[in-house]
Amino acid sequence: MRDQEHSNITGALAVALLAAMLLASRPAFAHIVDGSATGGFVGGFAHPLFGLDHVVAMVAVGLWGAFLGPPAIWLLPITFPMVMAVGGAIAILGVPVPGVEIGIASSAIVLGGMIALAARPPLVIAALIVGAFAIFHGHAHGAELPPGSDAVAFSVGFVMATGLLHLAGIASGLLTRWPAGRIGVRAAGVGIALVGALFLSKAI
Amino acid sequence: MSGLLQAFIDGLLNPLTTPTHVLVLLALALLLGQQPQRFAGLLVFALALAAGFLAIVLAVETTPARTVLLAVAAAFGVTVAAAWSSKPLVWLLTAIAGAALALDSPPQAVMITEAYATLAGTAIGACAMLVVVSAVASHAHADWQRLGIRILGSWIAASAILVLAVQLR
Repeated sequence: MRDQEHSNITGALAVALLAAMLLASRPAFAHIVDGSATGGFVGGFAHPLFGLDHVVAMVAVGLWGAFLGPPAIWLLPITFPMVMAVGGAIAILGVPVPGVEIGIASSAIVLGGMIALAARPPLVIAALIVGAFAIFHGHAHGAELPPGSDAVAFSVGFVMATGLLHLAGIASGLLTRWPAGRIGVRAAGVGIALVGALFLSKAI
Repeated sequence: MSGLLQAFIDGLLNPLTTPTHVLVLLALALLLGQQPQRFAGLLVFALALAAGFLAIVLAVETTPARTVLLAVAAAFGVTVAAAWSSKPLVWLLTAIAGAALALDSPPQAVMITEAYATLAGTAIGACAMLVVVSAVASHAHADWQRLGIRILGSWIAASAILVLAVQLR
C-alpha cells in the first residue's frame, strides 16, 4: 500500500517536472545563441539539441523510419538532411516561409501520430511528409548560421547532430522487432505528439 | 627550420586544415571509393590540380574558387548519397574540384622558391588525403558500411548547401 502511494507520488512529481520543463523550454524558432557559441563545430553541434521540439521531431523521423522498415529506414535519414539544408538555404537567402514555428510543432504531432497509429503509408507519401517538415526545421536553423570561415564547421556540426538524432530514433525503433517494444515505440509516438501539441499551443 | 621546409609544411597542411577543402576532398574521396576506376579519378584530380597551380604561377587574378568548391562538394555529396555513378559527370566534377582547390590555395610566401614549396606541399597533402580516404571507402563492402558512406555523403551535401547559401547571400 505504502509502495503504491510512493509510486503515485513519484509519478506525479515526474509528470509535473516534465510539464515544467516543456513550459519553460523555448521553441526552436527562438534559438538565438550568442556570437561566441554559434562559431565552430561545437556551436553547430549543440544548436539542434537546445530545442525540445526539434529533438523529438528528429527522433520521430528515425522511429518512423524503423517502423516503416526498409527502404524507408535508410532513405529518410539520407534525404532529410539534404532537404533540411534546402530549407536552411532558403532562410539564409532571406526568403520567408510562413508559420515556421507552427510547422515544427505540427511535425512532432504528425510524426508522433504516425508512430502511435503504426501508420504505413506508401514510401512516396512518407517521404513527402518528412520532406515538407524538413523545410521548416531547416528554415528555423538556417537563419542563425554564422557567416565567415566558421560557417563550414558550424554547419557540419549542426547536420551531424541532426543526423545522430535520426540514428538514435532508428536505434530505438529497432525495438519494434519485439511485441513489447512495438507497444513502447507506439507509446513514445503518443509522447512525441503530446510534446508537439504543447509547443503548438505556445506557438499559436 | 628552414623557410623552404616551413613553406612546404604550410602547403601540406593547407588542404587538411581549411574546412572547405576538407569537405570537398572527403566527398570526392568517398565518391572515388565507390568507383571501379578510382585511380583514373585520382589522376584527373592531380592533373587538374597541376593546371590550377600553373594558372596561379601565371598570375591569374582572384577567382570565385571557394564558392565553386562548395558547389562541387554539394554535388559530390548528393552523388554519394544517391550512390549514383555517371563517369563523365564524376570526371568533370573531379577536374573542376582539382582546379578550384588549386586556385583557392595561393601561397603566401614572398620568395618564389618558398611559393613553389608551398604549392608542392598542397598538392601532396590533397592527393595523399584523397588516396588514403578513397582506399578506406573502397573497402566498404558490407551493406551497413555502404549505407554509412551514403549517410556521410548526405551530411556533406547538406553542410555544403548551407555554407554555399551563406556565400551567395
